Amino acid sequence: MKKLYSILFFLSITIAIVSCSDDGNTDANGPITLEFDNIVGTTNLELNTSTMPYTNGKGESYKVTWLTYYVSNIKLKSADGTVFTDPVKSDGSSGYYLVDENDAESQEITLENVPAGDYTEVTFTIGVDASQVDEGAQTGALDPAKGLYWSWNSGYIFMALEGVSPVSTETDKVFQYHVGGYKEDAASNQVSNIKTITLNFNGDSAPVRAEHEPEVHLLFDVNKFLNGTGEQVTFSTNASRHSPKACADLSGNISAAFVVDHVHAN
Amino acid sequence: MRMTCAVIGLALLWSCSTDGISPEGNAYGFQKPVNFPAATYTFENNSITKDGFELGRALFYDPILSADSTIACANCHQQVRSFSDPVHRFSKGINDVSGIRNAPAIQNMAFQNHFFWDGGVHHLDFVPINAITNSIEMAEKLDHVVDKLNGSSFYADKFQHAFGIREVNSQKMLFALSQFMNMLISADSRYDYYIRNDGGSLSNDELQGLTLFRAKCGACHATDLFTDQSFRNNGIDQTFKQDSGRQRITEFSGDRGKFKVPSLRNAEVTFPYMHDGRFRTLEEVLNHYQQSVKDSETLDSILKQNGSLGISLTDDEKTKIIVFIKTLTDQNFMKDKRFSNPFKK
Repeated sequence: MKKLYSILFFLSITIAIVSCSDDGNTDANGPITLEFDNIVGTTNLELNTSTMPYTNGKGESYKVTWLTYYVSNIKLKSADGTVFTDPVKSDGSSGYYLVDENDAESQEITLENVPAGDYTEVTFTIGVDASQVDEGAQTGALDPAKGLYWSWNSGYIFMALEGVSPVSTETDKVFQYHVGGYKEDAASNQVSNIKTITLNFNGDSAPVRAEHEPEVHLLFDVNKFLNGTGEQVTFSTNASRHSPKACADLSGNISAAFVVDHVHAN
Repeated sequence: MRMTCAVIGLALLWSCSTDGISPEGNAYGFQKPVNFPAATYTFENNSITKDGFELGRALFYDPILSADSTIACANCHQQVRSFSDPVHRFSKGINDVSGIRNAPAIQNMAFQNHFFWDGGVHHLDFVPINAITNSIEMAEKLDHVVDKLNGSSFYADKFQHAFGIREVNSQKMLFALSQFMNMLISADSRYDYYIRNDGGSLSNDELQGLTLFRAKCGACHATDLFTDQSFRNNGIDQTFKQDSGRQRITEFSGDRGKFKVPSLRNAEVTFPYMHDGRFRTLEEVLNHYQQSVKDSETLDSILKQNGSLGISLTDDEKTKIIVFIKTLTDQNFMKDKRFSNPFKK
């Protein structure tokens, strides 16, 4: 009898271990990398330049001192229509990525264990949705210690663009656009500036295989963000924005500022 | 095999009860008072343990959270006043600076939908960040607090016991503070013993006060939390130039001058009153509602019925309402040793 118990016990543990490690990890799975490359028009973005190398749509020169944004809820669609969803954990420990121009590594988001397939489309969210914050203290990319948590109006800065322009009337001629706000509520007129963006690979495909590590090269164009259809930004007024409504129009420029440039099959 | 399991099981149970504290019942777990509404806190992500609670308690009383290690949470939230500020209308932050709002009591936090006078935060875990990072309070950076805690062997042990990690992160620090605050339940007043039929009774004046309170104040100070948790303009100003209240969060003109309805539990000791602490006594508060409510676009409709401002109250009614409010004072809560300063032996 005792022996039987022992056997059953070890058998159940073995099953538990096997079933854990077996979960969704087939030999055909592989990684894929999304590279978020930040540009201004046709040139690569460079931070903290000594001059004002860039010009917005209003003809105002500027330089950029910081650019960062949250990417989350990534989905990949393959040619046969199946969708891979990058798992999101409610404490922020997975599925949320902070792309920061100061940190080259942060601009390459690698998704592991993606089922083999020829992927032709990516969907992602710029921002942090309400349900995450409602779950309480966060970790990973959403750790408030990373400095993008908005303490006074609970939530995260989705995208921050800061720089300097001679026409700014703010102290030290800075501009600061902190886009955030997810609490859409008609009664109190609150806005949600979360953007979900779907981009196809321009007829190309990214072949995920065990032996392939394809890379999708995306571009975010600062000038498109400043000059979009939601609002054409001038640095001469309202250049310091730190609330959901102050950035409501500007957030309308976000989606079109992202494009898929090319795909490396590797 | 079964014997071994049983021995291990016993050892586990034993280790829980041999650390010097003899909890009565569930002394370090969350228990909802029967007369309270459901808790709002996400206990499924952060359940209370004794070690987690004790870590949160230490953090609450430790000035290490502030930039120059002079200000602890407990400086402005003192147990003797139901964790509100006993001295200042506007609490003093580092370098002796102060803000424009009165520090509210920290009690029954597990039941709140929103926090702060303007409701800008709606999950308890994020509440301490405001005080830690606000330049007129603790003026510290969250990542720096985490660094300081990581440099402390005292906290390394505490985080190890509470969460099984030696490397501190902000999430676990905030979890610990929430565990401490979630235990700060005040439901042990004379009113509670009366309303729960728990062997308590109220005097005739107190009972009359209760009836009057329900009729005159109960629309906003509702439920046994004594707040309906809504945001209202109670007519203390006309323009709200200095502090627009809820409008600061929603950026909506219809929310101008609205502030969160405060709980009246322990109101006897949480003076001064209102978001800016302008009233020193409960008499002044009731006089305001009776005779000095100011009209404006967003004034709460309850305070302007049939075209007349305020709440009709006689002097006798005001006296009895105050007599009743004092039955909400919970000295057991304010003297509970579990919640006292752990660094003071």
